Amino acid sequence: MALPFALPNFRGAASFSATEARVQLHEGIAVFTSMITQFVVLIFVWVLARSILPVAILGAIIFSMFTLGQRVLNEAAYVRVDHKLNELYLASPLTPESYFLGIAVGVLLAYLGPILILVAIAVLWVAFTPLLAVELVATSLAVWLFSSSMGYVLSTLFRDMRAIWSYASILYNLFGVLPPVFYPVGLFPTALRPIALVMPPSAAAGLLQDALRPGVLSSSDVVLAAVALAVESLVMFGVALLWARRTAQER
Amino acid sequence: MATVSYPASVPREGHVFPAFALIGWRWISRNPASTVAPILLPFIFLYFLFLISPGLFPLEVIGAMLFTTQNIGSWVLGDSATWRIECALQDLFVASPMGKVRYLFGIAVSNLIAAAPALVVLAVVLSFAVGHPVPWTSWAILFGALVVVWVLFSAIGVAMSSRLTSQREIWPVGNLTFTVLGMLSPLYYPLSYLPPLWQQAALFFPTTYAAILAQGAFGLAPASTGSMTIDAVLLLVLAVLGTAVALSLYRWRGA
Repeated sequence: MALPFALPNFRGAASFSATEARVQLHEGIAVFTSMITQFVVLIFVWVLARSILPVAILGAIIFSMFTLGQRVLNEAAYVRVDHKLNELYLASPLTPESYFLGIAVGVLLAYLGPILILVAIAVLWVAFTPLLAVELVATSLAVWLFSSSMGYVLSTLFRDMRAIWSYASILYNLFGVLPPVFYPVGLFPTALRPIALVMPPSAAAGLLQDALRPGVLSSSDVVLAAVALAVESLVMFGVALLWARRTAQER
Repeated sequence: MATVSYPASVPREGHVFPAFALIGWRWISRNPASTVAPILLPFIFLYFLFLISPGLFPLEVIGAMLFTTQNIGSWVLGDSATWRIECALQDLFVASPMGKVRYLFGIAVSNLIAAAPALVVLAVVLSFAVGHPVPWTSWAILFGALVVVWVLFSAIGVAMSSRLTSQREIWPVGNLTFTVLGMLSPLYYPLSYLPPLWQQAALFFPTTYAAILAQGAFGLAPASTGSMTIDAVLLLVLAVLGTAVALSLYRWRGA
């Protein structure tokens, strides 16, 4: 059995990513509206609790990377359920792994514009240090990897496009808004904090909050969040690669 | 276009509302997550708001009720556009004796069924969150405000749906329109919390008056009987105007 990370498995990934990015960019309004929840929450914070705005802005970036998984879920399901185009793609020299990765990277490229607007806002409002900047890039990529992989795996379970919105919005809002992503981790019940720190979006947000104001997390909490984020991202990515090949074989 | 004439045996009155209500019920009974989502999403945001501003919680629950009701417009947009674009069902409705206003209210009732559980749960939360006995007139004012918002935004939703050409436009257009309209009005915070310019802009939106009226009725914002009467009149006037404009923009035949 070939290893999921072997290079030949990613044949065609670059060109399919570019194709998918172009497809996504045709939906300009969807790209534009991808920031609605983030800006709504930022408005809430700006009106009601301006002191936590830097935390909320960093959380908005992490949330944006996390909800890219929802776009991957929608796109992969739309291509498969509504158009059955996946059959065409997978009958070509494109590998199943490249098909999944192409959708994930294409969505990332297309939605990077609005995310960069949030980054620009962060530069204006947040006191960046080199550590915070490096952590922002690293945790964002880890959250994207986890979320896109999860989105792709989940997309293969749906048979009806109308059912997707409900389940996806519950899932992504539950993990993205309820735990301390947009608000300080100190406001989350102490007893439940370990649970928040093993969930990728809140683990990333917790690490960023600690880089912003050192001491927000204990050193053991920092290790827990960092290890959980790294392990979950890589494991979910591996599962998605294996799942992509398996579901392609079962067609 | 020639006027269609029906033989006398074709019923002019029908059971449109129960039929559409049944459609709404079938949708949530087949797909329970569609009921859970509208219940859960306002609660997720309420939890967040409670954490960052615990003193405003009852007001925020009223805001969630108004926002949920307003969002019915987005679902109306989705259903109406899907039935027209994907199922080509609107031609069938147009060919029937049912007019566009009855169709609008039918879809609005259908989607109210899906939102009703969320509204009931939020009403129960509100009764506990207010912390003091509330006269029935306050509930009646809130109910009236919700009804006006429901009709207005359902009309906006159905009007916008008739202008869409692709199913992929539905979610982003609905999400953008109804969320932005909801955020411009002070649903989740008192009007006085907003910057002066935003306060003045908010006065052009009917939901602002619905929020002020409901907040005043529950004693969550200072309001006299006179000011509440003016707010109620402005709400009705703006809602009637908005509904009339929406219906005039709504393409019923040949959409």
